[in-house]
Amino acid sequence: MLLLAPAALLIALVVVYPIGKLIYNSFFDLRLSGGADAFRFVGLQNYQDVLSDKDFWNAAWNTVLITLITVPGALVVGMGLALLANLPFKRKWPVRLALLLPWALPLSFAGLIFAWFFHTEYGFVNDVVRRLGLTTEPTMWLLRPNWAFAAICATIIWKTSSFMALILLAGLQMIPRSLYEAADVDGASRWQQFWEITIPMLMPSIIVALVFRTITALQTFDIPYTMTKGGPGNATETLAMLIHKTTIEYLDVGYGSTLAVFMFLLSMVVTSFYLRRIGKSA
Amino acid sequence: MNFVWSSRQLRFVAAAAVVINGFFPALWILLTSLKTEIELVQKPITYWPHDLTLRNYVQAFTDQPLLRYLGNSLTVALAATVASLLVSAMAAYAIARLNLRHRQLILTAIVASSMFPLVTLLVPIFETMRALNLLNTYSALVIPYIVLNLPVCTLVLVGFFQSIPKDLENAAMIDGCTRLGALWRVVIPLAAPGVFTAGILAFVNAWDEFLLALSLNSSASMRTLPVGITLYQGEFTFPWPIISAALIVAIVPIAVLIALFQERVVSGLTQGGIKG
Repeated sequence: MLLLAPAALLIALVVVYPIGKLIYNSFFDLRLSGGADAFRFVGLQNYQDVLSDKDFWNAAWNTVLITLITVPGALVVGMGLALLANLPFKRKWPVRLALLLPWALPLSFAGLIFAWFFHTEYGFVNDVVRRLGLTTEPTMWLLRPNWAFAAICATIIWKTSSFMALILLAGLQMIPRSLYEAADVDGASRWQQFWEITIPMLMPSIIVALVFRTITALQTFDIPYTMTKGGPGNATETLAMLIHKTTIEYLDVGYGSTLAVFMFLLSMVVTSFYLRRIGKSA
Repeated sequence: MNFVWSSRQLRFVAAAAVVINGFFPALWILLTSLKTEIELVQKPITYWPHDLTLRNYVQAFTDQPLLRYLGNSLTVALAATVASLLVSAMAAYAIARLNLRHRQLILTAIVASSMFPLVTLLVPIFETMRALNLLNTYSALVIPYIVLNLPVCTLVLVGFFQSIPKDLENAAMIDGCTRLGALWRVVIPLAAPGVFTAGILAFVNAWDEFLLALSLNSSASMRTLPVGITLYQGEFTFPWPIISAALIVAIVPIAVLIALFQERVVSGLTQGGIKG
């Protein structure tokens, strides 16, 4: 039991106590910038304010939209990469390293690199667009709300699909070849084999990858922070960014804590939905 | 899987697609870092640099304390790795070996602790660190990072500990080792590959963390690389060649690490698979 003590103590300090403190704070008007009287019990006032706060709904919608776009996006791209990487290569390391590098890079690096990719005047993306003759005027990727959103989603998909691919690749390698050989004998097409053998056999890996990707997608912060700082306006501001801005920059801890409680509930709903699904499929 | 492709050329195309997807962004940044500012603002843009220059690398080190950021990141990541391994090895050993009731529940609780969005815990952690007078110290980051790493390290290590025969330990204990002694002298050396795998994952996790590093250590001398690298840009200026040079300097250590230990990283990821 003593062996578990350090782990338990740390979890208590970094997770359990903060959750309690967070909920406690959410009932207070607590602003660190506001002098001595800025600590007042306000009951559910913060909660009412959040529900009528346009910035909250904007950030919540952005977060949900990013999750809905980038999680399936990363799954599809990751599946493609995994299928390609699973071909029998003589030298395995270039492909393996190519999958590991995007995973190992800090998100903020990916954000900066892709901000440069999407640069209006000197970016690689607009150069390709120009060479293909698609537009006459360069697209202002990070300065237009919808384009900025698309650029951020593309960056997140690039950054996260390689993790998906690694998990799926491990799953692919465990599917016995004999299944495909039997299907060949029965005259099943490759397409049929993919949907009837590969996908069902891969389901456990897919679910694991989806759960972790969704949990991290709901927390999206680093990439929009480094690419657009949430802009233009607050078109790409996520819940995590709004909470960070409210608490760390504006020092409005009470209100920020209430925002965090809502985010907390959102991720609980999503996680429990997944856990129920896993329970069913197991 | 035996897909349609069987010829060597098609296999080569497949490999090229994966390799380009993985390396192209880093390659593009490398090319950018070798261009002069004048060449960079030419239109149409050039792909290969015409006049190679290393000036950007010099400026990357002089414009911002890049070496300091590197040192901070290295210190924090190494300390977090060692501490994570110690704490999770003890927990994993208890779960794998001792006759605990509810051992599955304990493991689930440890894994579940990572499911809470970090940003929601940010302010209370901030307040705690301030109360403990730890803001702008390495400990402010190392302590939360241990918890961040706990799930994946514990999962990987439980797997390894379970694969080591119990008899070896019992023999050591009969020969007069305490249980901790047996853990230290027999189990840990045998589980070395697992410890190593968990260690690399812990290192990468700590090396990459952004939100806490940004919020808890705001003094310039305590910034880690992922945060420091964003500070080259001014309000309206983006010195892209210098940012690129700094990025290359920052990417090299982590790229070398995963290149050296790629098989271990992959096996660890698929066992403990946590991190987006």
